[in-house]
Amino acid sequence: MNRPMIELRRVHRFFGDTRAVDDVSFEIPAGEVFGYIGPNGAGKTTSMRILATLDVPTYGDAFVDGFSVVNDPDRVRRRLGFMPDYYGTYANVNCTEYLDFFARAYGLIGRERAKSLKYVMDFTGLDGLAEKPIRGLSKGMKQRLCLGRAMIHDPSVLILDEPAAGLDPRARIELRRMIRSLASDGKAILISSHILTELDEMCDRVGILEQGTLLATGSVADMQDGMRATPQVGDPSMTEIHARVLNTGASLGHWLADRDGISHVVVDGEIVRFTYAGDRQAEAALLREMVLAEFPVVEFAARTKSLEDVFLHVTQGVVQ
Amino acid sequence: MSAGDVTYSENQNGDDASGKLLYQLEQKLERIGERLNPILVKEVRQALKSRMFVIVFALMLIFGWAWSIFGVLLVLSPGVYYNPGGPTMLCGYFFVLAVPLIVAVPLMAFWSLAGERDDGTFELVSITSLTARQIVTGKLGSAIVQMIVFSSALSPCIAFTYLLRGIDIITVFWVLGWTVLISILLSFFAICFATISRSVMWQVFLSVVLVLAFLIAGFSWSSVVVQTLFYGSLPVETGEFWVMNLFVMMMYLSFCLLFTLAAAGKLSFPSDNRSTKIRYAMIIQQLLWVGWMIALALQERDPGVFLVFASCAGFYWLVMGALLSGESPQLSPRARRDLPQSFLGRMVGTWFNPGSGTGYIFAVTSFLGFILVTAFFEITIAVGDGINWSRSRGFDNRLMFAGLAWAYLTTYLGIGRLILLFLRRFYQLGIVASLLVQVILLVLGILLSASAQVLVNGFQNNDYTALQLGNWAWTLAEASDSRGRLPLEVPILIFASAGVVFFVNVCLSLPEIKAVREATPDRVIEEEKELHPERFTEKGGPANPWSDDPSPGSGAEKPSSPEG
Ligand SMILES: Nc1ncnc2c1ncn2[C@@H]1O[C@H](COP(=O)(O)OP(=O)(O)OP(=O)(O)O)[C@@H](O)[C@H]1O
Ligand SMILES: [Mg+2]
Repeated sequence: MNRPMIELRRVHRFFGDTRAVDDVSFEIPAGEVFGYIGPNGAGKTTSMRILATLDVPTYGDAFVDGFSVVNDPDRVRRRLGFMPDYYGTYANVNCTEYLDFFARAYGLIGRERAKSLKYVMDFTGLDGLAEKPIRGLSKGMKQRLCLGRAMIHDPSVLILDEPAAGLDPRARIELRRMIRSLASDGKAILISSHILTELDEMCDRVGILEQGTLLATGSVADMQDGMRATPQVGDPSMTEIHARVLNTGASLGHWLADRDGISHVVVDGEIVRFTYAGDRQAEAALLREMVLAEFPVVEFAARTKSLEDVFLHVTQGVVQ
Repeated sequence: MSAGDVTYSENQNGDDASGKLLYQLEQKLERIGERLNPILVKEVRQALKSRMFVIVFALMLIFGWAWSIFGVLLVLSPGVYYNPGGPTMLCGYFFVLAVPLIVAVPLMAFWSLAGERDDGTFELVSITSLTARQIVTGKLGSAIVQMIVFSSALSPCIAFTYLLRGIDIITVFWVLGWTVLISILLSFFAICFATISRSVMWQVFLSVVLVLAFLIAGFSWSSVVVQTLFYGSLPVETGEFWVMNLFVMMMYLSFCLLFTLAAAGKLSFPSDNRSTKIRYAMIIQQLLWVGWMIALALQERDPGVFLVFASCAGFYWLVMGALLSGESPQLSPRARRDLPQSFLGRMVGTWFNPGSGTGYIFAVTSFLGFILVTAFFEITIAVGDGINWSRSRGFDNRLMFAGLAWAYLTTYLGIGRLILLFLRRFYQLGIVASLLVQVILLVLGILLSASAQVLVNGFQNNDYTALQLGNWAWTLAEASDSRGRLPLEVPILIFASAGVVFFVNVCLSLPEIKAVREATPDRVIEEEKELHPERFTEKGGPANPWSDDPSPGSGAEKPSSPEG
């Protein structure tokens, strides 16, 4: 049966006049990491809380493994791990006790609990800190602990709200590795972040949210491709191309300026930037002509959009 | 894992019998430990490490020791043979214990839950497999553990009082036992309070209210204890004493049940059925109340008993009715899955369905039921005694009182509910708001009537007049007074308004009454079949008019029966 593990069906959530989530729908199959991007106040946390059964939608419904978060939250909770954007730790408790408590709370008993405790400690690299009081943990360690808590009952769905916030570069790479490995175990993972390069490498698909509406979804590559032909200025059907030629930048500039379909030529030493109205075939033809005209071309690239560009392009920077 | 299992048990087989016994004991303890409420385990771990607990515990010990030294001096003093020192000593220890038990422990229970709701850990706990009831009982369990720690620390001292003159073991146990029980009830109450609001401002306000309530409870109980210890003794040899204790104990337990269900209901997820079980608990309380009323009336042969019990019941249904009619009028699809379906089931069960309208009707009819039962028994008892009941002392007054009480309840609750329904169009209001509306309404009823009378008659004439129609307090007092004379139009108007308000409310509740069962989603049935295949094998039970459809899947909409 091909049931998506996570499904949002026309979810709305209003707080008074604020439309925090406004008609959002998407699906995440098992084994996929879905990145959730959006400016502050876009409604990421709100929609994740709805999925985690901590809030209810004003209209619409969301499903985890086919169960409604509104009507069967108890069943949803069994298969869902949620890591909120706060730590939620207790005073006077150490790491093992903390994880042990949640393991018990998820109904794990005896050896099963010991096993999952050990697995989670290993996985998150907390084994060295087992007896350390939580208050003394660094931010990154707390983050790990919270990820550990979210996965203690081996849920098939993970909802992670900004898990990379406050992590150093090494810890981020580590986190990325952990998340990929969880996804390869067949878990569906929804992850939100502001650090776009982060999601770039981690996610199979991303969704861009602003003011509660989902503006675009798709794989990272698709998105970059789809956005390829849109320079910051001017006609959005143009491609921004960047070429480097040995010593002959200025003459290439003149050569290009005379051709059709080329505009905005900027020469910067060896580097020439310009916009070109043509598809990929036309780009290849142009390159061939440049080489035939004996320009020593060493680089020729249509500037691909980073996820950051996509983000800036799609969103408008309106803060609710 | 399984390999480790086998070698372990083989090792055990080799051991001698005592080792085996120890091993079994250990296994059993471990299994109990596994089954303990996780919240309890965590809370106890936390509480025993918390500074608050340590400080309170240390203070209690210091005061306990100080009092003991005083006691030893008392014993050594020559007067001890003439002055019974027991009560004095016990009273001192009682106060040393009462402060942590009646104030500190319930307050810590409040802050423990309120704090978790505030810092977000509660959310994390609430999405685990723990039920709301487990969370509440876990919190309470930890409060009880703390009580046990406090009491056992002081128990040697208390044992010492028994060695002194003037105190018997039953008194010692009675005083301490009820102190602990009161502490438990207050902790229940505190936990209920903590579920009311998440905002810090509210929590500070609520904890002030709680501290006041604890102090009042503490002072009242202390005065009872002081009274018993110094100015009287427990009438332990009379049966009445034990019956009275039994009565209080049963009411106590029923309130514990009610508080647990209420707090758990408040903490459970929004689409859950939060109300039906609470309503069952209320019916249980009502039955207990009726039972004890009849028992007391039979023994005392005093019809005044009925008046007292009916007043309490009226107050009870006023509070409960205000809370129940504050429920949301929308039935969630989840709650609809378990609605009664058969004709009889719907007729009786509909009033137990969650919802504002059913709540109102439930409260009003329950109180009516109480009054009818009361009247029936009063007549039966009077007839049994060979008294012409219709002429028995004050029967008319009591009947008028009960009828008017019911009419006032119906009117005020109904108007309060209408106001709340109106306000809900603009604001999100919960059940506490409903209670507030009711209180304001009741106070307004008195104030407006009083001012109307002053406006019309000035300050000179302060006799009861028909202008006091809205003044429920005075009207009821007048009705129960055998010398009072109610103008005839007063009861007529009150009953008429009750009828109108009731009718309007019932009409507005029709959507709730007509709600029918909704089919359980296929996905849920699918999982249920995986988890509990045995429930799906048996087919078809004996046909009875109450039975709902046996298989959860086929519970599709049936045409709604046109009752109500
Ligand atoms: N409990 C609430 N009451 C009122 N408004 C709320 C509440 N929760 C969220 N909002 C509003 O809903 C909108 C979305 O908030 P949300 O926290 O989901 O954004 P976000 O995408 O997670 O932002 P960030 O990136 O800053 O975490 C915001 O405008 C916020 O003010
Ligand atoms: Mg957020």
